[in-house]
Amino acid sequence: MDRVVAWFSRLIFVFLYLPIVALVVYSLNASEVSYRWEGVSLRWYVELFADRLLLETLRTSLIVGLVSALLATALGFLSSTALVRFRVKGRGVFLGAILIPLIVPEIVLGVSLLTVFSTAGIPTGFVTLILGHTVITLPLATLVQMGAMSSLDPSLPEAAADLGAGAWTTFRRVTFPLLRPAVLAAFLLSFATSFGNIVISTFTSGVGTTTLPLRIYSQLKSGLTPELNALGTLLVLLTLAIILVVGVGQLRRILAGGPASQ
Amino acid sequence: MKSKALAAVGVTVAAALALTGCSAAGGSSSGDSTKLHIYAWSGEIPDSVIKGFEKETGITVTVDNFDSNETMISKLAAGNSGYDIVEPSQYAVPLMVERDLLAKVDKSKLDGFDNLAEKFVDPSFDPDNGYSIPWAWGTTGILYNEACTGAPVTGWKDLWNEKYKGKIYMLDNMLSAYIGGMQVEGLSATSTKKADIEKGTQALLDQKPLLAGYNSDNYADLVATGDACIAEAYSGTSSAKAVAANPDVHYILPEEGGTLWTDSFSIVKGTANESAAYKWLNYTLQPEVAALLTDDASLASTNQAALELVKDQTQVTNPAIYAPADSLDNAEFIVDPGKALAYYQDGWTRVRAS
Repeated sequence: MDRVVAWFSRLIFVFLYLPIVALVVYSLNASEVSYRWEGVSLRWYVELFADRLLLETLRTSLIVGLVSALLATALGFLSSTALVRFRVKGRGVFLGAILIPLIVPEIVLGVSLLTVFSTAGIPTGFVTLILGHTVITLPLATLVQMGAMSSLDPSLPEAAADLGAGAWTTFRRVTFPLLRPAVLAAFLLSFATSFGNIVISTFTSGVGTTTLPLRIYSQLKSGLTPELNALGTLLVLLTLAIILVVGVGQLRRILAGGPASQ
Repeated sequence: MKSKALAAVGVTVAAALALTGCSAAGGSSSGDSTKLHIYAWSGEIPDSVIKGFEKETGITVTVDNFDSNETMISKLAAGNSGYDIVEPSQYAVPLMVERDLLAKVDKSKLDGFDNLAEKFVDPSFDPDNGYSIPWAWGTTGILYNEACTGAPVTGWKDLWNEKYKGKIYMLDNMLSAYIGGMQVEGLSATSTKKADIEKGTQALLDQKPLLAGYNSDNYADLVATGDACIAEAYSGTSSAKAVAANPDVHYILPEEGGTLWTDSFSIVKGTANESAAYKWLNYTLQPEVAALLTDDASLASTNQAALELVKDQTQVTNPAIYAPADSLDNAEFIVDPGKALAYYQDGWTRVRAS
């Protein structure tokens, strides 16, 4: 039985990683068509770096992802602190309000955002994109950080206070270091959600702010090009680099959702 | 640990900036005509055209992409979009005119309008080119692999042929699939009659057991490798590559007709950069600029004078880019089905659910 399970899990790993391996391999294919192999070449990487419009959409996606993830993480941190640590009146209502974007269909959110922005006379662009993405990433960032905060031993800040630490020192030296993995997890999750978003971006992007997913989606009409494989490979490498830097050990704790056991 | 996390973020930012070069292009700003904001299909305006325009006029261009005419229309209809030039498909032009989203083109400000091929002057979807200057065009037809079919294919009826069961693909797009469904029944692909659309739906329902699937992404690869024998296909880059790379692969317009599309440049009503917009129209009407559309994007140009300037003339003779003129005689322009859209949607739901 154990061996069956072991083989099954290996199969699942193959299933999960095969597309990524294929992407990397095809990005090195010299041929213009994916079904034929014409030897190893870096030509698609060269074309990628010459494709100004594609790189601009990548930059837009990265900026929007980073800023909206930062915003969502910060707001999520504040709201989860309020909701976990203090018995705020109407706690359920606040929590519900934050989580609603998880339940409302994205297309409805997108349309209403566009209506609100155009009624308010805010031109669509970076600002609206970032606000829109923050709306959908905030619930994720809040949930991740709330989980970590509620599993935090409440006697720790008390002990710190007992030892003479003020509120700020307690936060800086005790609570925040314990929560750091969850904060990082919330940030990465928000970033990934924003980076891959299509629906909200469709409605909130404006002049000069086509995101990468919008560009790729639009390209389906004329056909996808192998430079997208090269771009995908670079993004995979970037992700790997981040994982290595953040540290495999830390990542394990992030996935477990608990506070760092230091 | 903190510094490591910071480093991770730093790496990301640095990579972002390094990858893209860091000139911050802000959102919309003041309306001087040193800027031009274009909203277009991706892949239909080669980089070389934009660079050339910027160099010649000193105007900075931003290009954004949409994934459907409907997305583009809803963006403009919301108001305040900030775009100066949009690139609607033929059927979207009358819809946008009706909604008062496009500015009338002042022909006296145009230079080179007579370079356009006759087919695109005074087209059915925009009388007298009042609101649109056609730029790129293409067809919806059939891509097939003769090694697999064993005989030349002539029309839609071959996509209903039992012989190719499990080797047939239709486009995964409602109106595109109906082109085949309607024309194989001898009907107009743009019919708005309920009874006609019902017949088309029935044809698609009958065809479904023969299909390998609906596919709009990689059908050209599938036909080229012989995994599919025959597929409903759009002309353009993917089909053209398949035709050029494999002598057995052919692209034809079906004898029942097939359809024609064209994407045009239009000026957005209320644009702040009108003079730049006209400069763009005039620049893209030049034959040597229009030829770049075929050179760099493998798309057919509407500019007759551009054809002889295309560097690789095999592209001009490739039917998957420039469909031969005589096969276009029966081809219809796809138009907006208006209220009949509901009949198509209802039928399409039944087809996909069966």
